[in-house]
Amino acid sequence: MNDTATILPKPAARAGEPRRAGVLDRLSHVEPVALVWLALAVVLLLLVVAPLGKLFLVSFETQETGAFTLSNYVTAYGRARYRDALVNSLLLGLASATISVVLAVPMAWAVSRTDMPGKGLTWAVVLGAFVVPPYLGAVGWILLAGPNSGVINRVWRAATGAEGALFNVYSFEGMALVIALHSFPLVFIFVKAALDLVSSEMEDAANILGAGTWTAVRKVSLPLVWPSIMAAFIVIFLETIALFGTPAIIGIPARINVVTTQLWQFFEYPVRVEVAAAYAMPLLLITVGMIAVQKLLLSRKGFVSQTGKGGERRPIKLGPWRWALFGWCASVGALSVAMPLLVLVQASFAKAWGRGISLDNLTLRNYRLLIFEHEMALTSIWNTIWFSASAATFAVLIALLIAYIVNRRLVPFGEALGFLAMAPFVIPGIVMAIGFYAAYASPPLALYGTAAIIIFAFTARFLPIAYANSSAAVRAVHPEMEEAARILGSGRLHAISRVTAPLVKKALLGGWLIVFIVASRELSAAIFLVGPRTRTMSVLLYDLSEAGNFEVLAAFGGLLLLITMVLVGVGMKLVGRDFMLRRT
Amino acid sequence: MRHVTKRRFLAAAAGALGGLAVPIGADGQEMPPHERELYEAAKREGEITWYSGQYSAEGSEAVGRGFGERYPGVRCNVVRSTSQVAFQRLSQDARARVAQCDVFSSTNSGHLTQLKREGRLTQFRPRNADGMLEQIRVADPENFYQTTFLGLFQLAHNTQKVGEAEAPKSWTDLLDPKWRDQLAVGHPGFSGAIGVWAVQMRKMYGWDYFKKLERNRPQIGRSSQDPVTLLNAGERTVGVCVPAGTTLLSIARGNPLRIIYPEEGVLATISPSGILRNAPHPNAAKLFMEYQASKEMSQVIRGLYAEPLRPDVPGPEGSLPLDQIKLLAPSLEEQEKGVPEVRDLWRDTFGV
Repeated sequence: MNDTATILPKPAARAGEPRRAGVLDRLSHVEPVALVWLALAVVLLLLVVAPLGKLFLVSFETQETGAFTLSNYVTAYGRARYRDALVNSLLLGLASATISVVLAVPMAWAVSRTDMPGKGLTWAVVLGAFVVPPYLGAVGWILLAGPNSGVINRVWRAATGAEGALFNVYSFEGMALVIALHSFPLVFIFVKAALDLVSSEMEDAANILGAGTWTAVRKVSLPLVWPSIMAAFIVIFLETIALFGTPAIIGIPARINVVTTQLWQFFEYPVRVEVAAAYAMPLLLITVGMIAVQKLLLSRKGFVSQTGKGGERRPIKLGPWRWALFGWCASVGALSVAMPLLVLVQASFAKAWGRGISLDNLTLRNYRLLIFEHEMALTSIWNTIWFSASAATFAVLIALLIAYIVNRRLVPFGEALGFLAMAPFVIPGIVMAIGFYAAYASPPLALYGTAAIIIFAFTARFLPIAYANSSAAVRAVHPEMEEAARILGSGRLHAISRVTAPLVKKALLGGWLIVFIVASRELSAAIFLVGPRTRTMSVLLYDLSEAGNFEVLAAFGGLLLLITMVLVGVGMKLVGRDFMLRRT
Repeated sequence: MRHVTKRRFLAAAAGALGGLAVPIGADGQEMPPHERELYEAAKREGEITWYSGQYSAEGSEAVGRGFGERYPGVRCNVVRSTSQVAFQRLSQDARARVAQCDVFSSTNSGHLTQLKREGRLTQFRPRNADGMLEQIRVADPENFYQTTFLGLFQLAHNTQKVGEAEAPKSWTDLLDPKWRDQLAVGHPGFSGAIGVWAVQMRKMYGWDYFKKLERNRPQIGRSSQDPVTLLNAGERTVGVCVPAGTTLLSIARGNPLRIIYPEEGVLATISPSGILRNAPHPNAAKLFMEYQASKEMSQVIRGLYAEPLRPDVPGPEGSLPLDQIKLLAPSLEEQEKGVPEVRDLWRDTFGV
């Protein structure tokens, strides 16, 4: 780790340097930690502040001349159709986040607090739903719940003799459900982590005062984890309004235009980055608004569940109800993972998926086409792997340095770095991508179409995940251990490499894997930045989905999942099976 | 169409001679001098990037692969999307002032006329174009672009869900309320062909046609090929403005589809490609244009049921010969001006 080398204590750094006069002499008095601080500040300026600042400026510029204007805002919000798209996105975000909470909170409670059977299966469901990219889930659900040809609706008609469809995926509800089915793992992760900290004593107290299990949950356990639920709700809301793939695949046939598909339209000829920027600005306001509401709702209430006294945590005995809960978890698993994957796998081996499962419909042609005949398929797989790996490495490295500096209070204003590292958390991915396009696509940097711009965009976009992870990891290591090493004569670098690093290694690897997985399925941040040779799997999947060839699309999705599974497997082996459920 | 009859005759003649009439083999055995010269220069460039919305994803990959096999050492980067999206990518490149694309192909000819007007194309006439069908041999008298795709777009139906007798016979039949919730169509914001079709329908029946069509709630996808998938699945029963090539390929693979040639005529997109003036690989781009005009390329795309561009390659199996079909097409000017208009009207009428 070269970067940490500069955190050497002052005397050590100065000892090796010959004395020089003037500026250099004065420079040598600068605390080395401050240089790292400066370097990180520059990195964050480039990754976070510049793209967003540029986006903000561009929204007031006239195309070509760059003169100040407000007309972009007039164009962006001058038509009812454009405003409707914004409303649709907001409603969709709220609906998906609500459904996710409804799906996941009982699961999190069941796994964390009760004696429900099949907890391992529930883990698998959460992990499965997390690694399936949302647009792939959307394709699976088209095969499942197309109003006429969907498996679910065919079975429904055959069973009941009904005319209509049981569930039409090409609808607002369909889109919200499909998104929620791939977002709920976040709620699960947040809420389970919080519930794990609630000691049974609090529930016992409620029980002693005459409350039943249900009342105790409602009045004690859930209110205690309310902040986690809210945080997860906001994250899913933001992820939903930033989604591009699902609205393009389901929303267009459902006649629902949303912000992302509208932003895409502003990139039609002539490319109107200015209008797109203006259109994106209110999204940032809404995000700020949501966070303000969260602060307001949580203010002046205590949510302390961890105290100095070690509380006991034992599972609540549910009796027969534990099977009801298990049924709930299994149903969510069926809807989010088992059913869509089953139809996708069937389609990927089918000549024509509509003909169902039969021997004469089986073929390997779709896989053969992708692996041996498709010019970009393998390249895009490789791109995805190395872009995501690079982004994960950068993000974890930057995040670790910031977390260390902030946590150990090595410099004044260190918190500013922490704030910037968390800022992309509240910026929809597609807005981030347009910011990167506006700031870095053109000369002098001319990064458009290069691997670098995608890696940087991924790094910036997922920095908050890495930061939250690193921050928790660093916080968990008490400075006294490092101090002990330093008292015994070790330098800071030595202390870090021999004491701190081994202690946080596992947590960092876990964080790396999470960033890798979310980056490997990211579409909205990539779609505006890819060039002919830098297309990722998600972008190629999107291109394939345009041609409506579901069989090849499903086969490519199969390859994507296979690769993710292998990596998740490796991750579990290295870090333990709960790597993504560590407090992040 | 008289010329096409001649094409059929020539095709038959070529077939009778066992293909010996044009002995240009792969691996450059018999490469004509003009190709060899370009090939040598192209090898130094090593690759060509092709933005295309013309042939299907599968067909485009096959063309790219065929090119690489015929000219080893020159790789074709196939960037296949719908035509509007391809043009969007090109515009994004231009806006970022980054040159990535060598050859641009669209089903909306208006894209090429616009690029030409803006001075963004290179003049080049492939020699191989001399062997193309006479009526598509010259797309632009000044040779800024060349015809590389002969697309036929018509109706299709799922034969298990809708019988031949009750199937619609014309574009206006689609307005009959009995087709409510039965139709599927692409989107002019994505597909170039759908944009051209919408211009043609507006020209024939006014925009009212689409307002009436909306009463039947067609399912709107993106690509003109989207409906074929929906018909195969039985999700919808009648596909509107679907490409003949994709439909025939699907039929060949055992799907219960049938092509309907509308009474008013079939939409023909005689679609061009051009070399960008700032193409990073100009020689490879010229070689690729030669390839697109060559017999080899026509054979490759015929294998995927698309219309060959040359009389020495017979039409795809199962298609009506061109001379038996009435063709409809708006003029190039109408396409360039009309497509952005209908795209906007479409979004107002259909909501997406």
